[in-house]
Amino acid sequence: MSAVDSVSLMRATRRHRSVMLLAGSFITVIVIGIVGIEGFASSTDIKSILLISSFLGIAAIGETLVALVGGIDVSIPFIITSANITVVKLLSAHWSAPLAVVVVILAAAAVGALNGVISWGLRVHPLLITLGIGFALLGGMLMFYGNVSVLAPAWLTKLSSAGGTTFGIGIPPTVVIWLVLSLIVIVILRQTTFGRYIYASGDNPLAADRMYARRRAVWISLFAASGVTSAVAGILLLGFTGGADTTVGEPYLLTTIAAVVVGGTTLLGGRGGYARTFVGALLLGVLSTLLVGFGIDPNLQETVIGLILLVMVSLYARESHPRNNV
Amino acid sequence: MSAATTGLPSAHIARRSAAAGRLKAAAAGQSYAAPAAVLLVVLLILIALRGPSMFTERGLTIAASVAAPLVLATMALTPVAIAGRGGIDLSIGPLMGFVNVTIVVWLIGNGVRNPVPVIAFALALALAVGFINGVLVAVVRLQPIIAALGGYLVLSGLATYVLPSASGSVPSWLSGMAGKTGSVPTAALILLGAFIVWTWVSRTALFRNIRMLGGDERAAYASTVAIRPAHIAAYCIAGLFAGLAALMLTAVIASGNASQGPTYTLTSVAALALGGVSLAGGRGGMLGAVLGALDIYCLNYVLDTFNFGVNAANVTQMFYGLVLVVALAISGATRLLLARRHLRAGEAR
Repeated sequence: MSAVDSVSLMRATRRHRSVMLLAGSFITVIVIGIVGIEGFASSTDIKSILLISSFLGIAAIGETLVALVGGIDVSIPFIITSANITVVKLLSAHWSAPLAVVVVILAAAAVGALNGVISWGLRVHPLLITLGIGFALLGGMLMFYGNVSVLAPAWLTKLSSAGGTTFGIGIPPTVVIWLVLSLIVIVILRQTTFGRYIYASGDNPLAADRMYARRRAVWISLFAASGVTSAVAGILLLGFTGGADTTVGEPYLLTTIAAVVVGGTTLLGGRGGYARTFVGALLLGVLSTLLVGFGIDPNLQETVIGLILLVMVSLYARESHPRNNV
Repeated sequence: MSAATTGLPSAHIARRSAAAGRLKAAAAGQSYAAPAAVLLVVLLILIALRGPSMFTERGLTIAASVAAPLVLATMALTPVAIAGRGGIDLSIGPLMGFVNVTIVVWLIGNGVRNPVPVIAFALALALAVGFINGVLVAVVRLQPIIAALGGYLVLSGLATYVLPSASGSVPSWLSGMAGKTGSVPTAALILLGAFIVWTWVSRTALFRNIRMLGGDERAAYASTVAIRPAHIAAYCIAGLFAGLAALMLTAVIASGNASQGPTYTLTSVAALALGGVSLAGGRGGMLGAVLGALDIYCLNYVLDTFNFGVNAANVTQMFYGLVLVVALAISGATRLLLARRHLRAGEAR
């Protein structure tokens, strides 16, 4: 009996090891910040960390979802930029704000769904298809628009500035939007049949088919969702940068994948979840603030983050040896 | 037609048909690259119509030199992609940038201008990075794309740290690599050399092991393939090609520029996909990679002849995307059709 206990204990620790490591490194980083940097825990610093993390966190929702079914989406940065520019263009053509936002989000969903349809239908690696679609989309948009130096409207700036308030509470609305979206995604993943289908598709396609999880529909809808979250991030970034920016999406190519991976969601599908990516995005946000605070050469910050990523992932996201793969 | 009717000695026929069979097999083995080859022919015809100045001695020298870094970068991606596990080494571009700035700042900036140490350093550095990548994937067992992501961040950060803004100069022998040797573009000679080295490598048992890894890693392991050395070797080969790509990049831009290397990341992936090399591993080869990269270069060249002005970069990017999606769609559709016909033939039997 004690043998059984120790086996189940071992399994439990193995399962929770990555969670503990993630939580541990998060707390460590925060403690280092509080001890090492004066004013780190001040409310302005916390607000700006939350704000930076929320753009990344929202963009990484889509990356997490497609990773759960073993996909990858590299069109995220291109959709972010396209949405960012298109909204301003529509607004300056005197569209009403809600209409412009809804149209852009629907268009992004269509682009994402197209990613899903092609990669599923032709059995082509989603990395290549999303890359091709991303190139074509952004290249076409920029060609079509010509000059994109347009300022963001005031209501968008209010949404995304660090000093913004939500219903009188001193938290920028973007952060609140991130929290709400996170909650929705986590609940869908954990509590709904659709969520079960996602994990089943990613973990074991055969079993997923046996339980009538419509894998094709799941795959396509997750890529569509990734388009939507990218567009939301792109629109919110508009308020943050103050105007349309043709390069605003670029950093999110690598950082969304980094947030997913640091959080401990495998890119092979079936294991992980958004709660992890949430912490991953926060961790990256705190980390970059920390590196600035310690006065590390801005050029080396990328290097340090890369090293930390490699170390963390080496600790908990190793693949199994082929001898253990059936 | 039998030996009796033609009156030829049967041994001769046997030899001839064996040779034909070998040729056929070789052609079938390269059929994955057919769409890339067709596209290249189309693009070359377009170039002949719109910008025939490419087919002069000077035009060819420029074309070979400018295309060389992309071709070599795509070649660097190939062994890792063939080794499987979804191996796509996104860190090749930043590695090129890192090698570029280190030879310009550390070596040439300190008076080391002799070809031997510079070339040796570039190749050794790239090889070392490739080796570390290989260890991360084979021994630490990280997913290749995660190792590549970490490598990307580390290397592009280091490169901008070593040289924050573009500057420096290179000795004449290095910029001469973008020139001519006799009347032949030096870059073409280097590419030919790289291709010959690769052809030799691809005939070794080592490469067969790499291909087996990509086909089915567990089966390879069960067949006593030493999977760790094979994985590491794939990354080391990639590193060497990246080092060569970095040297050609340095020759073309004739300075140090940390931001040039990373621009090859996504373009070389697009070239690899155009060339029909499967990210699922086990399929594809260097020929496809080279053709895919030449496709991308020629596409760029054709688009340039249209004078899109300020929009040139956007138009090019859009066409990269469209061509990539169409090429993937065609190759995906043919694969599915072939598989279906195969299935039907099996049922008929």
